[in-house]
Amino acid sequence: MLKKSKQANAEPTVSNSPVTMVDRTIIGDQIYIEGTIRGEEDLLIEGSVKGSIEMKAHHLTVGTKGQVIAEVRAANVTISGKLEGNINATGRVEITKAADFNGEIKAKSISVEDGAYLKAVIELEREPTQKTVPLGKPEAKASSEPKKEPFVLTGKDSKGN
Amino acid sequence: MAASAADLSQRDLNQHLGLEGYNSNALKLFIEHLDQQTESRLLDVGPVCQENIRFFARRVWKHYVCDMFIRLDRNIRKGDPVYQIWKELDYHPESFDGILMWELADRLDEQDVKRLVTLCHSMLKPGGMAMVMVMGDQIASSETKSFVVGQNHRIYLRPQPHLKLPLRGRQNRDVLSMMAPFIPAKSFICRPGFMEFLFRRE
Repeated sequence: MLKKSKQANAEPTVSNSPVTMVDRTIIGDQIYIEGTIRGEEDLLIEGSVKGSIEMKAHHLTVGTKGQVIAEVRAANVTISGKLEGNINATGRVEITKAADFNGEIKAKSISVEDGAYLKAVIELEREPTQKTVPLGKPEAKASSEPKKEPFVLTGKDSKGN
Repeated sequence: MAASAADLSQRDLNQHLGLEGYNSNALKLFIEHLDQQTESRLLDVGPVCQENIRFFARRVWKHYVCDMFIRLDRNIRKGDPVYQIWKELDYHPESFDGILMWELADRLDEQDVKRLVTLCHSMLKPGGMAMVMVMGDQIASSETKSFVVGQNHRIYLRPQPHLKLPLRGRQNRDVLSMMAPFIPAKSFICRPGFMEFLFRRE
């Protein structure tokens, strides 16, 4: 069932959460949701969700029992369960060793524990680097046309078991 | 007298490599190659390591991570054939400017090494580079380690106790032979028996 939880009483499913949560909603492990979830508070998923999750100013946690196939937009994301889809986070993405993630991550920062089961395309805010330009050659212009992506998010049939 | 590979503890390993890790000339050249590319794409086949993700994801345009070590480990534990893991490397041909292969080949038998090398050759763009490590008898052990990239092209080895993988113990000449589809670009001796290789696709 959907539960409202105060942090002080909540079961600590994931340790070392980078964000202090005051209130959060829990989707329990017997719940299956298909569709769009939008929220203005933190969310812990222990059940199954398929669709999209938008909580731009809040923290999404996929707990150890959670199974999510979704496009995710959130401030911070913690994955300890299974998540297949793309994550767009304005803050931090945390992937624990219990996680099974397949998809693309765009975030400001990331932490990954050794042992995480990961297949990902990761884009972080880049450091300005000084490209070395060979003498006598002008620096190549970046193409204005988006290049064909070499990786398309794969379905279940290509996941490791 | 050198300790046997099986007896080599992390302390021994650190003593052997130096507690501060070692300077990786191959990594320096590899990064210089990536820095020359526009919209560079890098593939790291693992083991997944936070430091490396942070380091490379901020340097390249897109950093692809597909941990083949943990996939290999899970397949072996379940008794599934190793060849099943290769479906995970389902990237388009000529997708990457660089591939970090680390010591994955040393965890595979001859047949799967050929498959890995063929896939990597296909996935690299012409002119792209692959980085390969051979750890040698003194450093290698059945305990898998990640190559953790630090500051100033230093590399540290960190044990990955969750990975139980066989070790084939290939020699340098074996590496050159298995990477035959590539052009050897550079090789460096880090410690006796511990070598780094850079290969380039024509």
